[in-house]
Amino acid sequence: MRIGVIKAYFKKELLDIYRSKLILMVYIMPSMLLILFGYGIKTEVTHTRTLIIDNDQSKASYDLVSTFEHSKYFNSETKNLSENRALNLIKQDKKDLIIIIPEAFEKHLLKGLKTSVGVYIDGSFPSRAKTIENYVNGVIYDAIMKRSGTEVDRALITINARNLFNQSLRDEDMIVPGVIGLVLLIAPAILSALLIVKEKENGTIFNFYSSPVKKSEFLAAKLLSVLLLHGINIFILFLWAIYLFELPFRGSFLLYIFSSFIYIIISLSVGLLVSIITSSQIVAYVLTLIITIIPGFLYSGMLMPISSMEGESVIEAHIYPVMYYTHILYDVFLVGDGLSASKNLLYLFILMGYAIILLTIGSLLLKKRIV
Amino acid sequence: MNRLQVREVSVSYRKKTGLKPVSLEATGGEIIGLIGADGAGKSSLMHAIAGIKSFDGEIEFDNHIYRSPKEAEKVKGSIGFMPQGLGLILYEQLGVNEHLDFFADIRGIKQDSAFRVYRERLLHMAGLSDFTERQAGKLSGGMMQKLALICTLLHRPKLLLLDEPTTGVDPLSRMELWDILNDIIAKEKTLCIVSTAYMAEATQMYRVLLFEDGEIIDKGKAGELIEKVRPFSYEAAPEPFENSITIHGYTYSLKPLELKPKEPTLNAVFFINFLKKYGPIPEISIVHKDRDEDVPATIMEAKGLTKRFREFVANDHIDMELNRGEILGLLGANGAGKTTFIKMLLGLLPIDEGELFLLGKRIKSANDRQMLKAKIGYVSQHFALYKGMSVRENLRYFANMHRIEPERTSVLIKEYADTLGFYSYLDALPTDLPMGINQRFSVAAAIMHEPVVLFLDEPTSGVDVVARATFWEMLQKLKEEWNIAILITTHYMGEAEFCDRVVLLRDGKKIADDTVKNLYQIHPDAHNFEDIFLDYYNLN
Repeated sequence: MRIGVIKAYFKKELLDIYRSKLILMVYIMPSMLLILFGYGIKTEVTHTRTLIIDNDQSKASYDLVSTFEHSKYFNSETKNLSENRALNLIKQDKKDLIIIIPEAFEKHLLKGLKTSVGVYIDGSFPSRAKTIENYVNGVIYDAIMKRSGTEVDRALITINARNLFNQSLRDEDMIVPGVIGLVLLIAPAILSALLIVKEKENGTIFNFYSSPVKKSEFLAAKLLSVLLLHGINIFILFLWAIYLFELPFRGSFLLYIFSSFIYIIISLSVGLLVSIITSSQIVAYVLTLIITIIPGFLYSGMLMPISSMEGESVIEAHIYPVMYYTHILYDVFLVGDGLSASKNLLYLFILMGYAIILLTIGSLLLKKRIV
Repeated sequence: MNRLQVREVSVSYRKKTGLKPVSLEATGGEIIGLIGADGAGKSSLMHAIAGIKSFDGEIEFDNHIYRSPKEAEKVKGSIGFMPQGLGLILYEQLGVNEHLDFFADIRGIKQDSAFRVYRERLLHMAGLSDFTERQAGKLSGGMMQKLALICTLLHRPKLLLLDEPTTGVDPLSRMELWDILNDIIAKEKTLCIVSTAYMAEATQMYRVLLFEDGEIIDKGKAGELIEKVRPFSYEAAPEPFENSITIHGYTYSLKPLELKPKEPTLNAVFFINFLKKYGPIPEISIVHKDRDEDVPATIMEAKGLTKRFREFVANDHIDMELNRGEILGLLGANGAGKTTFIKMLLGLLPIDEGELFLLGKRIKSANDRQMLKAKIGYVSQHFALYKGMSVRENLRYFANMHRIEPERTSVLIKEYADTLGFYSYLDALPTDLPMGINQRFSVAAAIMHEPVVLFLDEPTSGVDVVARATFWEMLQKLKEEWNIAILITTHYMGEAEFCDRVVLLRDGKKIADDTVKNLYQIHPDAHNFEDIFLDYYNLN
C-alpha cells in the first residue's frame, strides 16, 4: 500500500462529501434518528384500568393491593366479583387487567409453599399486554421482596430480566441504546455504499480500474473516510444520550468507543457488500436501508427484549450483529459490568469476528474490472 | 519500442458476444482508429487492452504478456485509458487543479520541476490555464473532455486508449482535442488507439479498423480502404438495379454497372460489406395516408423561447419556425440545448419566457396542448420502449394510448411492420434487437396515429452506417408521402445534408438558421457541413 495514493483518494473523498453536501446527511441523519426514535417510541403504559379481586383479605394481600394503588401505572379498584363476571369486564373493554389473589395467599407464603396469583390481561394489543405483564410481575415481586426481605419467595413468580436493572422503567433508557445500535448500523453502511457506487454510476470508477491503484489502497481510502466521519458520530450520539435523554452511564467509556468502532467497521462492510451488487446510487441507498433498518429495528432489543423472543426469532437475532452490540451498549449505559461479565467479552469477540469476516468477503468480492 | 500485440482476443458479456476473436499489431507513434456503431465491439477491445475486462486470448505490450485483468496490472502504469462519455472520469465537485493533483498522486508521479512544466504545457494546450479553480461540473462539454484527456496524459502513458473522445463534442473542441493528441504523439511517441463514430475523423488516423457486429470487417489506411471499394461505387442510378444499393446519391454494386463511377467515402466500405453479407437493403415504403389539407403551412413557431435551470440558461431566446413538408435539423454539441428545446415544444418542460404556436394556436397551458396531442408524434432519445414487452405489445400499447380501435391496431401493426421491414421481429423483445430495428419501430409507434408533425430526438446516435442511411431514406419518404413536418436533433454535423433546413445551436443560443442550399452558397469553400459549422463556431 502506498500512502500517497490513499491520501490522494482520501482527500478527494472528503472534498467531495463536503462539496456535494453529503456531509449534512452524515451528521444530521444519525442525530435526527436518535431524537425521533428516542422521543417517538413509547412502550410505557400508564393508568392501566385494573380490577383486583382479593380472596385472601390478609395483611400480605392488603400490602399487595396497596402497592398497585400507589402506582401511577395502574388505576386499580378492589371488588369481590366472581372470576367469570370479572373476565366479562375485559371483554366489554371496561378493564385492562384483572388480578386475582387466591385464598390462603399469606398462609402459603409463610409456610414457603407455592402459590399463584391469577393475572388476566387484555391481549388485544400484544405489545401493550406484554408491557403490562412485565409491570405486574415487577410490582408483585417488589411487594413480596419488601415483605419478606428474602429471595425465597422468588420462585413464585417469573420476572422478566428487563426490569431487573431498569427499575425506573424509563422508556428512554430502553430505547436510546437500541437506537444508537440502529443508527450506527444504517448510516455508515449507506455512506460506504454510496461512496463506491457513486463512482460506478458516474464512471469515475474507471480511474481505479485502469490505473495501477491497488484494491487495498482504494478500499482503505474509501473505508477510512467513512470510519473517520462516522467515528465522530460515536461521540455525538453519546452526548445526546447523556445530556438530552439523561441516561446513566455506568460502564467503561473505552469499551463504548472500542466496540462502537468495531461496529462501524461491520456496518461499512455491509455497505461495501451492497456496493458490489449494485450500480446505481438510488438502488444502493434503498437496499442498504432495507437490509440494515429491519434487523436493526427488530433485533436491537428496543422493541422487544431478545430474552422474550422465541423460536426462529431467537436464531435470527443471533445471526445479525445488532444484538451483540446493543447488549454491550445496555451494559455500558445501564449496568456497568463491563468486560468482567463473560457475556460482554464474548459478544465483543463475536463483533470482531463479524468485522473481519464481512470486510474480508467484501474486499474479495470487489473486482478491479468491469463485471 | 512500445509494441502492442493483440492475439485472438475475444470478449463476452454473460450471454452476448461483445467481440469475436481479433488480432492486431501496432507500434509507438501510430494512431489506430476503431470505427463502427455502438455495440460493434470497439469498447470491448479497448477494455480488454486496458485490462479492465476479462477476455480470451493474449495481449502483449512492452514485453509483458497478459491474459486477464489481474495479469494486466503490471502494464497499467504505462497505459492511459479514457472511457466513453463526456468527462466521464471527472469528479463534478473537484476543480481543474485538484483533478491534476489527484491524478498525479494516484499515478505516483514525482512532482518535480519537469513535471510542473509538462503540466503547464498540457493545461495551456487544453486552453484551461485560466480556469484552474473551476469545478468540473461547471465546465462546458468540450472543456470537460479536454480536461479528461490531459488527466489521462498526465503520467505520460506509452499506450493511450481513447474511447469515442469526440462524440457529442462541438466541432471546435474536437479540433483542439486532435491537436493535443497529435502534439503529444509526435513528441512522446505514444501508441494511440482511438475509437470514433465520425467517419470524417478516419483521415486523422494512421490506420483504421472497421467494426461491425463484434467483428473487424476491414482494416488498413483510410486511403487503401477507399481504394478497395472504388470499383463498386457509382453515381446514383435513377432506377434501382438488381443486387445493388442506391442511397444518398450513390449506387453500390458488386457487379459492374453502366453508370458513372463516383469517388467513394469510408461509408462505402460498410455498404459494400452489407451487400456482400446480406444482399441489397430491403425496400422500405410508407403506409398510405390521406393528406389533410386543412393543416396550416406553419406547423410550429417559437418566438424567443427561453429555458433556465437556476443561473444556467439552456435555451436563450430561440426563434424557430417549422413548416409543413419540411425536415428541419436541429444541430449542436451535447449540452447545446437541443433536447431542452424539444421538451419545451412537447410541454415536458415549462417555458420560462417566449411564445410558442403549434398549428397556428398559441400554447399557454397544458389544456391548449391536450387537443394537439393527436397531431404530434415524438421519438425520444434512446427510444422510450418498454423493455419487458415485445415489439408487437409495445406497438399495441402506443396505439391504445392514442385510442386506436383494437381491430384497426392489428391491421396497422401488420402494415407498418411490412413496409418498414421489421415483420420478423414483431414478437422479439426490444433489448434483443439491433439498434436500427428499434429505431424503425419507435418511429412506427410514433406515427401510427397519423400525426402532422414528428419530433425526433437524436434518433441516429450510435446506430450503424447502413441503418442510419436507411433511416434517413425512411424520413424522406415519410415527408414526401404524408407531407408531414419533421424536426430532428442530431450531433452528427454531417447529417445536416439530409435536412431541408438546419438550425445550429451553441450553448443555448441559435447561431445559424438557413436552408442547406443557401448555406453551401454562402460558404463556397466548405467541403462539407463540418467546415460550415466551424465557420459559425469561430464567428461566435
